Amino acid sequence: MNNKFRELLKNEYVILDGAMGTMLQAAGMKMGETPEVLSITNPQLLTDIHSQYIKAGSQVVYANTFGANAYKLEGCGYSLEDIVEASIANARRASDENPLPDGSRALVALDIGPIGQLMEPTGTLSFEEAYEMYAQIVKAGKSADLIVFETMTDLLEVKAGVLAAKENSDLPVMVTMTFEMNNRTFTGVSVPSMAITLSGLGVDALGVNCSLGPKELEPVVKTLSEWTKLPIVLKPNAGLPDPKTNMYNLSPKDFAESVKELLVYGIKAFGGCCGTNPDFIRELSSMLKENGNPEVVHGTVGAAVCSPTQAVAISEPRIIGERINPTGKKLFKEALINNDIDYILNQALEQVKAGADILDVNVGLPGIDEKEMMVNVIKALQGVVDVPLQIDSTIPEVLEAALRIYNGKPIVNSVNGEENSLNTVLPLVKKYGAAVVGLTLDENGIPKKAEERFAIAKKIMDRAVAIGIPKEDVFIDCLTLTASAEQEAVMETLHALNRVKNELGLKTVLGVSNISFGLPNRELVNHIFLAMALNNGLDLPIINPNNEAMTGTVRAYKLLANYDRNSVDFIKAYANMPKVKKIVVDDNVSQQPGAAGVSDGASGGVPAGSAEALMHAVLNGLKTEGAQCTEELLKSMDSMDIVNEILIPALDRIGADFESGKIFLPQLILSAGVAQAAFQVIKKHMVNNNSAPVSKDKIVIATVKGDVHDIGKNIVKVLLENYGYDVIDLGKDVEYQAVVDAVKEHNAKLVGLSALMTTTLVSMENTIKLIHENNLDCKIMVGGAVLTPEYAKQIHADFYAKDAKESVDIAKRVLG
Amino acid sequence: MKESIRLGKLNKKEALKYLGYGNNEPDEKILKLLDKCEEELLETARPQMVYRCFDITEGEKGIEVEGTNLCLKGNSIREHLEGCDKAVLLCATVSAAVDKLLRKLEIEDMASMVVMDSLSSVAVEQVCDKAEEMIAAEFSDYYQTWRFGIGYGDLPLTLQSDFLKALDAEKRVGVFATASSLLTPRKSVTCIIGLSKTPVSKKRRGCQTCNMKDRCIYRGTDSGCSSRQD
Repeated sequence: MNNKFRELLKNEYVILDGAMGTMLQAAGMKMGETPEVLSITNPQLLTDIHSQYIKAGSQVVYANTFGANAYKLEGCGYSLEDIVEASIANARRASDENPLPDGSRALVALDIGPIGQLMEPTGTLSFEEAYEMYAQIVKAGKSADLIVFETMTDLLEVKAGVLAAKENSDLPVMVTMTFEMNNRTFTGVSVPSMAITLSGLGVDALGVNCSLGPKELEPVVKTLSEWTKLPIVLKPNAGLPDPKTNMYNLSPKDFAESVKELLVYGIKAFGGCCGTNPDFIRELSSMLKENGNPEVVHGTVGAAVCSPTQAVAISEPRIIGERINPTGKKLFKEALINNDIDYILNQALEQVKAGADILDVNVGLPGIDEKEMMVNVIKALQGVVDVPLQIDSTIPEVLEAALRIYNGKPIVNSVNGEENSLNTVLPLVKKYGAAVVGLTLDENGIPKKAEERFAIAKKIMDRAVAIGIPKEDVFIDCLTLTASAEQEAVMETLHALNRVKNELGLKTVLGVSNISFGLPNRELVNHIFLAMALNNGLDLPIINPNNEAMTGTVRAYKLLANYDRNSVDFIKAYANMPKVKKIVVDDNVSQQPGAAGVSDGASGGVPAGSAEALMHAVLNGLKTEGAQCTEELLKSMDSMDIVNEILIPALDRIGADFESGKIFLPQLILSAGVAQAAFQVIKKHMVNNNSAPVSKDKIVIATVKGDVHDIGKNIVKVLLENYGYDVIDLGKDVEYQAVVDAVKEHNAKLVGLSALMTTTLVSMENTIKLIHENNLDCKIMVGGAVLTPEYAKQIHADFYAKDAKESVDIAKRVLG
Repeated sequence: MKESIRLGKLNKKEALKYLGYGNNEPDEKILKLLDKCEEELLETARPQMVYRCFDITEGEKGIEVEGTNLCLKGNSIREHLEGCDKAVLLCATVSAAVDKLLRKLEIEDMASMVVMDSLSSVAVEQVCDKAEEMIAAEFSDYYQTWRFGIGYGDLPLTLQSDFLKALDAEKRVGVFATASSLLTPRKSVTCIIGLSKTPVSKKRRGCQTCNMKDRCIYRGTDSGCSSRQD
């Protein structure tokens, strides 16, 4: 194992190199050229640059491999392997020719930058593709002394890189990311999120490079020093560029002086990025020699988990939302079976709005591929919510698949005291740097007595620590039993919790609603038990945050226990509390205050709950009223009659008004939203009565391969669903074959394809071609900004839809 | 030059045009929705832009951008840059945070999403407006052409990736091109502004020659489609 860099990190400080791009541009390279090619075409230039840095004091030089990935090198005429090897050889030659003053040799880093594509869901690069690309570079760069990822802006891309590095080599890994003035990267990654995620993944050093000068980076370095115990790396630009000349504003001396101001935060490795040259490194080196580098203890924040944008320190009670779980929920189960991810996303957004700090995610259901579903759900959830997630499964393969693609540091739910569980789950937690919930049960079940549960908690902690999981990442669940069945056990749970918290110093987690099973007035029992648990030291209550009494209990506790300073959060939550209790119509129908959900009494003088009132609600975009009316109507009217006699005619009227220019797109969508809410109520009613769901034929829709503009397609989906069609939405950037597979699987008679740009029309044509080659008995409709009826014909589509309304007309024509 | 930009009020009239309203007045409900979306967008968006000015020369294959490996091909861009000896390459974005906001609204409330989508298109154009003002101030002795979007006319959209490289846009503003030359984050714009010592015709190329002329919803509006991408 090459440990030279780890040895180097034991020194008082480490000097890295300065900019490569700046030096190459100074030597005449054009903007937009592929700099890595120079490693082969002009090796002497590269060796000279590295030599200059080593002579200036650099103990580590970065090989010219920043953009040496399959995507950026495409068409450059050389193989990635040849370029990486040549680049490392150039740096190695410089290192060999220029021994450091103490006789040692400067280390050579395999330098890896971003792939050059945004990751899903904003871009099209998948985690798996990023991993493969990074693995190729890592394998090609084995002769380096360490691997550096720099100028990174996406935490998931970094994770793909670090995993590729660790799984394909044993070299030390260092990561620096690039932050803007708002202390976030372009993709929104926060400094604490970077710190705790990468500390968990076991990198050797981490820090910041590029974008700003040392002075501007002070807040980033300061935050970093609070959130990580690992060696910190600083590689700033030479100040800020002058708008007129594009030249950076710091001299080498000023640069070193500015860096000196940051030494109080405990930085280990120093270098420069854009605009710096060997003079900057020389000044940096003499500043450190003269001044010394004080040892600073950093990384004082304790237990924490995160998403890329939000870190949650478990320094006070935090609510874990429990609603993403099919247990006992018919609609949720149906959503899983139908692959209805939007339903799950809705559950997530609702809980976050209600006050959840973390969301538990459980998608286990017999008959579905839990692993695939878990991965899809986590990817989709992280595309819309900022809160960290808790991955909840009993199957280690599911946990691992989710841990791999999770962006940030999650909680694993759960491990327990059984040997098998400890041996399979803990290594995953360690490898992927997660936190873990430890259940106090083992081969013999749940112990009755507090001391036995305490003993299991200690065992879990010891085993975790033994394999290198920090103690602070173990959260213990002392398990709630049902009071009606085992009344004497209630206090045992709380005693165990108290001891785990105070004697072991671990964070605690507890699902509380089980306590009241079989009792009347469950809510009362639940929230009193929650208050008791909090007072015994519960950190992470797992509750339904949509239940006001539960969330309110946590809020009130935090106020009374002096966590919520000056009652800020409490007042924010309740200052505008409505006097009347809100009627919850359907926990899946979101409400937009000020928009669709305003109950402004504008029912137009028609009796509430009547057919006219529902018609009025749809026509006027009143979502809450529409849902309420439907609920009322269901008491006296057949659900199919509501659909056929009220909703469809209302939608037809809206559609006709849209077509004739009387109303416009937002109003059309508002009405569609009301109809959607009404359908949800009907669906829930039918599922609860075990009747067959209302749905007509299936339609497969997709935004074609290469295209990420899916808004039009999504509008089409809403309208088609309004008319009762079962829409199989394949999303955006969809492979040709995936469309064919879906048509076959669902025996769909109609396919809708959308493409926005001229460059992606060819994908549309190819998709159609493949559908025809497979002799599928289905019609194809197409739409999108640059399409014309003529072009649609030319690529052998059956229909051209100029807008969403027309797609419904086509569906009616084809499917009835 | 790279700059973070603060957006003021958004031009809602323009957003309504994108939504197909033309000169029709929206109702109270839609106006309220616009206000709410504007507030949320201004809170979420992190507008960024980068531009650089290059000398240009007419080469055999097209217009060469000095100091880069860019060659601008086609008749439209040649006409656009006629008489110009410099061109400013500009890339602007309202950031990936807006993509996330749109995804969230798509789940929560489709109508808000549609309105937010048009407002964010307006927002990125306003970032370009600000950039244009800065360019005007910086090159005060030059006449400026309008913003010619990459992919407009017969300038190929496939230029996107090289254009971004010449600006180092990936590193400076976090804008990337996909393999099919679409910009990500979604609400981003790339365009070219010609600089000339002599007056240039500010008039846009007419809609008559555009392949969208029969279906374009922006046709006949004051600003036409401009460099709008989305």
